[in-house]
Amino acid sequence: MTVRVNGAEHALPEGETLAALLERLGLGARYALVERNGEPVERARYGELRLESGDELVVARPVAGG
Amino acid sequence: MTHHEHDPLVIAGREFGSRLVTGTGKYDSFETMREAVVASGCELVTVAVRRVDFDAPADDITAYLEDVLLLPNTSGAETAEEAVRIARLARAGGLPDWIKLEVIPDPRYLLPDPVETLAAAETLVEEGFTVLPYVLPDPVLQKKLEEVGCATVMPLAAPIGSGRGLKLKDAIRIMVEQAEVPLVVDAGLGSPSHAAEAMELGADAVLVNTAIARAGDPVAMAHAFRLAVEAGRAARRAGLMEELERAEASSPLAGTL
Repeated sequence: MTVRVNGAEHALPEGETLAALLERLGLGARYALVERNGEPVERARYGELRLESGDELVVARPVAGG
Repeated sequence: MTHHEHDPLVIAGREFGSRLVTGTGKYDSFETMREAVVASGCELVTVAVRRVDFDAPADDITAYLEDVLLLPNTSGAETAEEAVRIARLARAGGLPDWIKLEVIPDPRYLLPDPVETLAAAETLVEEGFTVLPYVLPDPVLQKKLEEVGCATVMPLAAPIGSGRGLKLKDAIRIMVEQAEVPLVVDAGLGSPSHAAEAMELGADAVLVNTAIARAGDPVAMAHAFRLAVEAGRAARRAGLMEELERAEASSPLAGTL
């Protein structure tokens, strides 16, 4: 299946969880903030949420700012 | 009263020992930022939220910010809707539900939009966020933000990053007088004396970023701001003398030789 992450297509195994995708993207770190199809995803659900083909994800994180 | 008296800043029921809030932008490195945060003594620190650039892996800023409360901001939002989106994303992803609300449509002066800020504040308070809005020094807007339940009101001293100090002192003075939630002077403070002046005027706290991060020695400057904020606060509580038009001798006028 394919999903889009910040505009780029990613081919993933069927049923991949959001947590596994973040790990694959090198974002096992503490704060990855995720919107799936326009809706924010609760951190507690990252491990159980199975992605579906065609999902549009925005992945953000805290950065330096004032 | 002694200078050791317990005098915490209380925002939304949470106590802070420091009345200095710092931003994390514009440092040369996260290491310097961490040292400056420690030297400043601050306990509340802003961060921004941005899309991850997978082509340019970056360090995790939160690993450098232990023992402080992270205050995500809504920078980048030009409308209430965009600000609400950022706040919801930050909270869902595990950041605190405290949000520095800034809605800035104007890139030249970076001045906040009062109408969109108020609209976003109302929505976010309803959704349970602790909302700290960044605004122009407008005493009428201040009252409206308090009415919708904001935890602080944060008027700017001067445009963000300009370092020009308190440019609308009279408006800030009115805001101090009528404040029902902590008043935090945010943006445009260029030197410790500016910060002290804001505190003497009666601000409950100040938020500083550029003046520390862009100093010759940011860690030393962070310490200087800490001292200035403490001095300004102590002076405010001590009660400043009234200014006079004319001189008044400090030495006795009688018995001169």
